[in-house]
Amino acid sequence: MSNLTMKKADIIAVAIVIPICLYVFYESTKWPVPALLGRPFVVPRGVAALLVVAALILLYRALKGRAFLLESPLVGVDFWRVIGVAVLTFGYLPIVEPLGFTTTTFLYMLLFAWVLGERRWPRLILFAILVPLVVFALFSTALHVPLPRGGLENVLRAHGFAAIFR
Amino acid sequence: MVDLQLLIDGFGTVLSGYNIIALVLGSFFGIIIGAIPGLTATMGIALLVPFTFGMNPFTGIVMLLGIYTGAIYGGGIASILIKTPGTPAAAATVFDGYPLAQKGMAGKAIGMATIASGIGGTFTALCLTFFAPILARFALRFSAPEYFALAVFGLSVTVTLTGKSPLKGIISGCLGLLIAMVGLDPMGGFPRFTFGTVQLSGGFSFVPMLIGLFALSEGFRQVEVILTAPKVSAVLTNIVPRLHEIKECTRTFVRSSIIGLIVGVTPAIGAETACFIGYSEAKRTSKHPELFGTGILEGVAAPQCAENASTGGDVLPMLTLGLPGDAATAVLMGALTIHNLQPGPLLFQDHPDLVHQIFAGMITANIVFVILGFMFARIFAKVINIDRRFLVPLIFIACMVGSYAIGNDIFDMITCVFFGFIGYVMIRYDYPVSPMVLAQILGVMMESNFRRSMAMSQDNLLILVTRPIALTILILAAFTTVTGIRRMRKSAEMEERIAAEAAAARERAKI
Repeated sequence: MSNLTMKKADIIAVAIVIPICLYVFYESTKWPVPALLGRPFVVPRGVAALLVVAALILLYRALKGRAFLLESPLVGVDFWRVIGVAVLTFGYLPIVEPLGFTTTTFLYMLLFAWVLGERRWPRLILFAILVPLVVFALFSTALHVPLPRGGLENVLRAHGFAAIFR
Repeated sequence: MVDLQLLIDGFGTVLSGYNIIALVLGSFFGIIIGAIPGLTATMGIALLVPFTFGMNPFTGIVMLLGIYTGAIYGGGIASILIKTPGTPAAAATVFDGYPLAQKGMAGKAIGMATIASGIGGTFTALCLTFFAPILARFALRFSAPEYFALAVFGLSVTVTLTGKSPLKGIISGCLGLLIAMVGLDPMGGFPRFTFGTVQLSGGFSFVPMLIGLFALSEGFRQVEVILTAPKVSAVLTNIVPRLHEIKECTRTFVRSSIIGLIVGVTPAIGAETACFIGYSEAKRTSKHPELFGTGILEGVAAPQCAENASTGGDVLPMLTLGLPGDAATAVLMGALTIHNLQPGPLLFQDHPDLVHQIFAGMITANIVFVILGFMFARIFAKVINIDRRFLVPLIFIACMVGSYAIGNDIFDMITCVFFGFIGYVMIRYDYPVSPMVLAQILGVMMESNFRRSMAMSQDNLLILVTRPIALTILILAAFTTVTGIRRMRKSAEMEERIAAEAAAARERAKI
C-alpha cells in the first residue's frame, strides 16, 4: 500500500516538475542577451535539463514498480487534521489585514487548538485571547513591528491601551 | 593566523551588557527547542531570526549561536528520557541513553551528555578560531571561476549526501536553483520568472522562505501525530558524573571531537551523521563492544561529543567561504546577510573584530549550555511534557508573524506559508528540504560567478578548467558525487545495523 502511495506521489511530482522545466525553456527564449555579460540562459536551461532527466528517471522507477518505499510514518497519521490546519492557515492570510491581527489571531488560535483536539473551553478561550495580545504587545512595543491593525485594536487603543496598541 | 588581542577583545564584547544576556537566553531557548521531539536546531534558529532584527548585529548573532549549540545538545535529553531523539542529531544517543534511564541513571546520563557535548563543542569552536583565518586568507586568492567551482562542489555534495535518495536530492536541489533565479537577472538586470508581479522582482524573500521550509513544515509534521506528549517518568538524581567516569571517556572525547569536526567541515552533512559515526567508532575501538546498547556512559558520551563537535566544523566553511555546512548554518548565513554581513573571506578582511567576536561567542556558547544544562536539567526534562495542542499553534503564529516582521509585508507571510506547506509535502514524500535551501544560496553564487567567468574569458568555457584551484575543486566535486552516493547507501545500512545490534544487546541484557 505504502509503495503504491509513493508511486503515485512520484508520478505527481514528475507531472509538476516537467511543466516547470518547459516553462523555464520557454521563458528563457525571451530574455535579452547582453554583450559581455555571459549568456543568461545557460544556467537556467542547464538546471532545467538536469531536472527533466532526474524527473524522467523517477518516473521510470515509479512505472517499473521500483519507487522508493515510504517509511511507516503514515500509520496513525490524521491527514484530515493536517488539511484542517492548512485550510485555517491559508484562510488566515487574506483576512489578517482587513480584520486586524488580534481578532484574526484569536479566531485562528481558537480553531487551531480545537482542530488539534483541545475541547476544554475555558483553557481554549484563555489561550486564544492571551496569544494575540502577548504577541501584539511584544512585536509592537519591544520589536517595533506594527502588526496589521483592525477595529478591535483601534477600540482598545481608544480605551486606555495606547501604550500597547501604538 | 588568529589575532589574540582581537580574540580577547571579542570575549570582552561577548561577556558585556546585552550580549551575554542574549547568549544565555538563546542557549536556554535552544536547549528547550532541542529537548522537544520534532523541533530541530534549524527550526529554532529560523524561528528566532526575526527577533534579532531590532538588535545590534553581534547581539543577534551571538543569540543565534546560543540557540544553535544549545539545541544540538538539548536533543540528547529527550533521547535519554523518552527514547525519542529531541533532534535528529541525537538519534544515536538513544542506544545507551535510554537503557541508562531504565537503570535509574537518567541523571548521570544527562550529566555525561552535557560534559561530552561541552567538550566536543568547545574543541571544535577552538579549531574554528585557529583554522578559519588561515582558510579565509587562502580563499582571498579565489576569483569567479574558483567560486563557481566551489558552488558546484557544494551543490554536488549537498544533493548526494542529504536525504535517502540522491535522485530526490537532485530534484530538490534543482528546484532550489530555479527558485533562486526568480527575480532580476544578476548581470543584465531584467526580470526572470516573475510573472509580471512586483513582489517577485526581488525574488522570494529568503528568511520567510527559510522559516517556512524549516519551521512551518515541521509544524505541519507535528500536526500529523499530535495529541499525546510522552510522559517522563525518570527521576533525575546524581546529575554530575564522577571524575573517574569522565576520565574513562577521555579517549572517546578525543576521537568523537575529531570525527565531529571532520564531518562538520564536509558540506551538507552535520550533526545527524556525526553522532552515528562517533557512536560506531567508539564501539569498534572499545575493549567491551558487547556492552554498547546495554546502557553505558561511553555510549552516551561518544555521539553527544561528536554531534556538538560538528557545529564548529559546520560554521567553518560558512564563515570563510560562504558555503553553508548544513541546513542550520544556511539559516545562520541568512541571518548574517540580513544584518548586512556577507560571509566569505572578505568578512575577515573588512570586519576582523566581528569575526573574532563570533569565535569568542562560539566558544562561550559551548560553555554556557554546559552551565545551563547542569543548573536546569530538571526543568528541561519537564519541557518534554509540554502540551502539543498549544505548542504547535504557537509555532505557526511565531513563523507567520516572524516572516511578516521582516519587511512589514503580508507577501512575506504568504511566502512563509506557501513554502511551509511545500516543505511539509516534500518531507512527507522523502524529498529532502536542505538541498532546496542550500541550492538557493549556492545557486546565486554559482550563476553569478559562472557569468562573470564567461565575461572574463569572452565565453570560453576552458577558463573553468585551466585554473589549477578551480580544476581541483571541480575534480573533487565529481569525486565526492560518486563516492557520496556509495557512502550514503553504506551509511543507511550502518544506521540500521547499529539500531539492530543495540536492540539485540538490550534483549540480551534483559535475559
